[in-house]
Amino acid sequence: MNLSGVSTELRPVVEDLNRRFEGRFNALVTPRLNEVYFHVTMDLVPGFCAHLCRKWKARLVTVFADDARIGHGVFHLYYALALDDAHGLLVLRVPVSPETPQFVALTNAIPAVNWQEREIQDWFGLRLLGHPNPRRCALHDDWPAVHPLRKDFDLNTVLPPFQGERHKFRPVEGEGVFQVPVGPVHAGIIEPGHFLFSVAGEPVLYLQLRLFYVHKGTEKLFEHLPIPHGVRLAESISGDSSFAHATAFCHAIERTAGAQAPPRARVLRSVCLELERLYNHIADIGAICTDVAFVTANMHAMRLKEQILRVNEHLTGNRLLRGMACLGGVRFDWDADQIRTLNGLVSDLRPEFDSLVQLVEDSSSTLDRLDTTGILKPEVARDLGVVGIAGRASGFAYDLRRDFPHAAYDQVQIRVPVYRVGDVRHRLRVRVDEVHESLRLIQTFVTKLPGGPLRIDIGEVPPDRVAFGYVEGWRGEIFHWVRTAPNNRLARCRVKDPSLQNWPALSEAILDNIVPDFPVINKSFNLSYSGTDR
Amino acid sequence: MNPDPLAILLQTLLLLLLAPLVSGIIKNWKAKLQNRRGPRPWQVYLDLAKFLRKDMVISEHASWIFSFAPYVLFTSALLAGLMVPTLATPAPLSLFGGALALIGLLALGRFFLALGGLDPASAFGGMGSSRDMTLSAIAEPALMLAIFTVAITAGSTDLSQICRSTQSATWRLLNPAHVLAFAAMFVVLLAETGRIPVDNPATHLELTMVHEAMLLEYSGRFLALMEWGASIKQLVLMTLLANVFVPVGLAVSEAGPGALALSLLAYLAKLLALAAAVVLVETTNAKLRLFRVPDLLSAAFVLATLALLSTFLFQ
Repeated sequence: MNLSGVSTELRPVVEDLNRRFEGRFNALVTPRLNEVYFHVTMDLVPGFCAHLCRKWKARLVTVFADDARIGHGVFHLYYALALDDAHGLLVLRVPVSPETPQFVALTNAIPAVNWQEREIQDWFGLRLLGHPNPRRCALHDDWPAVHPLRKDFDLNTVLPPFQGERHKFRPVEGEGVFQVPVGPVHAGIIEPGHFLFSVAGEPVLYLQLRLFYVHKGTEKLFEHLPIPHGVRLAESISGDSSFAHATAFCHAIERTAGAQAPPRARVLRSVCLELERLYNHIADIGAICTDVAFVTANMHAMRLKEQILRVNEHLTGNRLLRGMACLGGVRFDWDADQIRTLNGLVSDLRPEFDSLVQLVEDSSSTLDRLDTTGILKPEVARDLGVVGIAGRASGFAYDLRRDFPHAAYDQVQIRVPVYRVGDVRHRLRVRVDEVHESLRLIQTFVTKLPGGPLRIDIGEVPPDRVAFGYVEGWRGEIFHWVRTAPNNRLARCRVKDPSLQNWPALSEAILDNIVPDFPVINKSFNLSYSGTDR
Repeated sequence: MNPDPLAILLQTLLLLLLAPLVSGIIKNWKAKLQNRRGPRPWQVYLDLAKFLRKDMVISEHASWIFSFAPYVLFTSALLAGLMVPTLATPAPLSLFGGALALIGLLALGRFFLALGGLDPASAFGGMGSSRDMTLSAIAEPALMLAIFTVAITAGSTDLSQICRSTQSATWRLLNPAHVLAFAAMFVVLLAETGRIPVDNPATHLELTMVHEAMLLEYSGRFLALMEWGASIKQLVLMTLLANVFVPVGLAVSEAGPGALALSLLAYLAKLLALAAAVVLVETTNAKLRLFRVPDLLSAAFVLATLALLSTFLFQ
C-alpha cells in the first residue's frame, strides 16, 4: 500500500488500520496529506469507528450522504473522523444501493451522530436501521414523503399544503407534572425553535427540543450556484459566523483546486476570524449578564461590541465582515491607516474588557446565578460530541486552530482554555479567556503581516474532486465538505455548524435546574438556529 | 367626622397622576445609571394612553374572571391609596379602615391578579401566578409586622393616627425598631413591585417572569388598568415608607394651602429619594435565583420581627 500521500502523523494510524482490517478496504484515496478516504462497505463501519475511537481517540465529527447515483450508481455515506492528536481526518465512504436504500445507525454507540443520521434519513430517504429514535428531524412531520437532497428533486418544486399528523412529543407523566411549551415564536429578535419543558413545580424533568423551523435548503442551493457565488451563500448560513462559514467554504474549494491563499490573505483571514470571535464573545458575556438581570454589564459589553463592529466596517466595509471572504484570498487589503485603527482597537479593548470582566466578577449576585447553573458533565459532553465553547467548559480542548491549523494559525501558538466544571460560569470564563487570547493573536498577526498579493485566481475547479474545508469559528468547529461538478459547480456541499452538534447537550444541561434558569443556560451555549437548520 | 369629598377627589387625582410618573422616573434614572438615554419620565402616560385606545385580544379560554381582575386590581390599589395620608392627615378614607384594611385590599388585588394570570390557561401566566403566591406568602407577613411595629408605638392601627403620633415630640426618628421595620418594608417594596433582585420588570424572558408573566395575556384597556394599578400600588407602598417612617413635612387637613404646598414638596422629595434607592438596588444587583428569593423575604420577615421585639425592649 502506497502511503506517500499521507502525512507522517497519520501514517501509523493508517498502517494500524491496514493490519486490523486487512484487505477489507476497497480503496484508499489520499487527496491531501491530512485527509484520507477509505472506501469500505457498510458492515465495516461500526467496527472501524469503534476501533478508531477507542485506540486512536478519534471523534466522529460529521456524518452525511451524497447522491452519487449519476456517475457511481449509488448513494454514498461519509463518516468523517477527526484525529486531533494526529492532525488529520479519516473519512469512510460507504456505498448504499438505490435498490435497498438503508443504512445501519451508529447512534447507539455514538450518540453524537443522532441528529445527523436522522437528517440523512429525511433528506435522502435512506432508511435508518436500529436507530433508537428514527423519527423525523430535519424535515418536520408535516412534510410529504419527499427527499429534497436527492438529485431528482427539483429545486423549484412546490409542495402541496400539508395534511396529516403533526409531531407528537413524548409524554411525561406523574403527579404534579405538567408541560410548558415555549416557542417556536419567541419574544425578542431570535429565531424560531420549540422547547417543551416537562416540569414538576419549577425543576425541569425533561426538555424536548424541536428545531429546523427555518430550514432553507442551503445545502441544495449550493448545488445550483456557480462556485464563486457559493461564498456569498455560505456567509448567510449563520449571520453571526458569516466570515467563519465563508472561509470554511473557501478552504474547501481551495483544497479541491490544490491551491492555497497567499500569505497576506491567510493572515487577514485569521484576523477577521478573531474579530468575529471578539464581537460575539463580548456580546455573549453581556447577554449572559442580561439574562440574570445585571443589565449594567450588558450595556458596557454592547458598547465594546459596537466599537468592534465599527472597526469591522472600517476594515472590510461591513460591520459583520460580510463581503470580505473570497476564493483564493480576501477581497480588501488594509492600508497603514486601517492597521492603525485595528491596533487602536486592540489597545482600547484590553483595559475596557478587563474592567467589564471585573464588573462581572465583583458582582456576587451575578456570580451566584452563574455558579453551578446548567452543568454539562464531561461524560455527557463526550457522548454528545459537544464542541466549541461548551466543550471546552466541560473538559474537551478541541480547537481546530491548534489541531488543524488553517489560515495563518500555523504561525502562532494557541492557548486553549479548558475547564471541567461545565456550568454557565465556566462557559463565561472560556469566553473571557478566549477574548484575551484573540486580542493577543490579532496583535501578533498584525506585527508580522506579510506583504504580497491579496488573492490568487482559483479558476475553474476540476470536476469530481472532494475536500473538507474547516474553520474554528467563535462558537466551535465548522466543516464544509464539497464534491465538485463540471462547469465550476458543486455536486454536493455539506455544511456542519457546531450548533447542530451542541443543541442536544442543552437538554442535558437543563436537567435538575429550575425553569427560570433556562434562559441563562441557553444563552451560555448561544447556539445558532439558522446554522442548525440550514 | 365625615369624609371630605374634596379631599377624596384630590387624593384620587394625586394617586392617579403621580403613580405613572414615579414609574417613569425610576425607568429613566435606571437607564441613566446604565449608560443609556432611557425613555422620558412621562413615557408611561403615553403608554397608558396608547393601551387605552387599543383593541383587546382575549383568549377564547378566558372566563369572566379574566375581565373582572383588572378592575378589582385597579380599584383595590386606589382604595388602599386613599387610606394612606399623602399630603395631610387624616387620610381621606381613614375612617373606613387602618393598616389591616390596607393590607387586605392589597391582598385582594393580588388574589385577582393571580387568578387573572391563571384564567386564560397559558403556561406562563400559571407559572407567574404560582411564583407570585409563593413569594407573597412571605412578603405579606413581613409587611404586616413592619406596620405593627409602628402601630404599637403609636397605639393605633389607623395609619393617620400613626402618622400623627410620629410627628409628636416623643417620636425619635432613629428608633431602632423603626429603622429595622423600615428596612424590612423596603425589601417588601422591592418584592411587591416586582423589582430586581426579586423580579425583573424590564425582561422579555417569559420563563423568568413573575409579575409580568401574569400580565402577558392582557392587552388594550385591561393592560392599561393592570399597569396603572401596579404603579398605584407601588406609590402606595412608597407613601407608606415615606410618611409613616419619615413624617417630615406632613400637614394636617385643617392646614392652609401654604402648608399643603410645603407638604407636597416634602412628599415629592421623599418619593424621589426612595425611587433613587430602588434604582440603585436595581442597577447594582442581578436577579436572585427564584429559590433564593424566599431567603431574602425571610430576612425581611426576621427584620420585621426584630423590629417588633425591639419596640418592647427599648421602651
